Amino acid sequence: MAALLQILSYGVFSGALYGLVALGLSLVFGVMNYLNVAHGALIMLASYTVLWTCYYLRFDPFLSLILVVPVFFVIGWVLFLGLFQRLLALPETEKLKNSLLISFGILLICSNGATMLWTADERAVATSYTGKVIDLLGVRLPYIGLATVLLAIIVVLGVHLFLTRTYFGKAIRGVSQDYEAASWMGINTRRVCLASFAIGVALAGFPGVVIALQTFNPIVSFDLTNKALIVLILAGVGSLRGVLFGGLLLGVVEAASVFFVGVAYREVVGLLLFVLVLMFRPQGLGGRKA
Amino acid sequence: MKSKLGIAGFLLLMIIAPLLVRSEYLLNLLILVCLYATLSHSWNILGGYCGQISLGHATFFGAGALTFRYLWLGGVSYYLALPAGALASLILASAIGFPSFKMKGHYFSIGTLALAMIALITVQNLLPGVSFITEACLKEYSLLTIYYLAFGVGVLTVVAVYALSRSKLGLALVSVREDEDAAEAIGINTFKYKVVAMSISTVIAGFAGGIFAFYCGTYYHYAPFELGWSFDPLLIAFIGGAGTVVGPVVGAVVFVLLKELFAASLGQVNVLIFGIVFIITVLFLPKGLVGIAGIIRKPKKTSAVAQER
Repeated sequence: MAALLQILSYGVFSGALYGLVALGLSLVFGVMNYLNVAHGALIMLASYTVLWTCYYLRFDPFLSLILVVPVFFVIGWVLFLGLFQRLLALPETEKLKNSLLISFGILLICSNGATMLWTADERAVATSYTGKVIDLLGVRLPYIGLATVLLAIIVVLGVHLFLTRTYFGKAIRGVSQDYEAASWMGINTRRVCLASFAIGVALAGFPGVVIALQTFNPIVSFDLTNKALIVLILAGVGSLRGVLFGGLLLGVVEAASVFFVGVAYREVVGLLLFVLVLMFRPQGLGGRKA
Repeated sequence: MKSKLGIAGFLLLMIIAPLLVRSEYLLNLLILVCLYATLSHSWNILGGYCGQISLGHATFFGAGALTFRYLWLGGVSYYLALPAGALASLILASAIGFPSFKMKGHYFSIGTLALAMIALITVQNLLPGVSFITEACLKEYSLLTIYYLAFGVGVLTVVAVYALSRSKLGLALVSVREDEDAAEAIGINTFKYKVVAMSISTVIAGFAGGIFAFYCGTYYHYAPFELGWSFDPLLIAFIGGAGTVVGPVVGAVVFVLLKELFAASLGQVNVLIFGIVFIITVLFLPKGLVGIAGIIRKPKKTSAVAQER
């Protein structure tokens, strides 16, 4: 029983991380139909940024967010103005295809550039609480895992409140529901897209911290993009509230598959789940019809 | 007439070049060009003509390579093992490829990527070892044979794509690419044509995989399943010009040359260069390098299909 609970808790911890990973991708996809597969690479870069801020400025990893998130906001801003802005005028399917291709190029550039700059060695930020656990009825809960869950809840709630309670958030939701109609209502759609793309990239900072606390290397970006896509589909396209749920589902399924099928096929089970959902319920498990 | 003479001259040159210039280095490059041209044409039929952007071609490439290796090392001669590899790839496609058409548009892309990852992880787990050439097979191993085989398969592929681009089938594929719903509305069975495109595509990918397994002496069993074999044909086709007959060939030449130039100085990081070239192509040259020729001299009479895009 304790073993099962232990596995379940690991599922929840990695699930919270998956939810964070998918959040930025989901926001960008929901608002402007861009499939930014470079998101995993951006998270990887965020992890390196966290690593260097912790190393040079002696910051706590979670404190380094006050630096990392604005930096990635700017990176998203620049990426949008430099590359993605050109695609806004294209029809829906072309938009999707071209954003997929361009961000795929960025993914290649980032992961290989990072390998060139910082080698493919595994790295991690070591803190005083790394490896510390709370023992709760025989179940060992690592501090970092608990912090991840807390962070995921805070960030998802924050984004949710931003989208529902602020004027600009409402504009973003308007654009995501109907691009044309939003522009007729006097919303500056280009600016909304720019801002939500930048926010989406800035959201890469949060999973970046959690990844930095585990071991990571530049290759992790492919894996992260992959996880983000799975969660995006599980949650339902454009459903931000579903992201946490989708992440948790994937995390728990993966953890359970370690228990039942063995660690070698952990990824396969998640991917199979993904393919099945894609085939039979492409709008996602809890999503609205696309 | 002039272009026909040019093509005949080019083919002749390619055939006698390795006999005139006895350089293993050149031969290796030529083999790689043929291999990549074949593989990216395989992707091109499905992605360029039919508009189904597959990110999982490594699966079919790998299936061809795996089958070829097993049969060849088992004593079957290479000219029988090669079509067997292609057949295995087709069988795999009918098992996992055709159902994947239940996923439409970008779902197809990420779905095939997921399938490719499943295949990679499974092969990694089942066959973790390295594949060696046995002594008996080493006698059959000659770069010249491999080159002529790769060249023959490459030429056949290009001819097949050329014939396809001028056929009714090619037009149907393009119509699926341009607008699937509209194609369905005018009575085209889109599912059927997607299946046809995938069948041709996977057979060619299987041939390419066989050539890889023939060419590479020692490699990990899962090496041909690596995701790079899905991404490279896509990069090549887009850089050269997706949905054209010449594009993937031009792309393959550029790809191999660039790789050769940068691999020495940058190592594995040369992929970075392709990322940059790729983004520039997608943004500024939607027709690829082949499109430049069209910009410079006004297109005179090209076939309706080739002119698309």
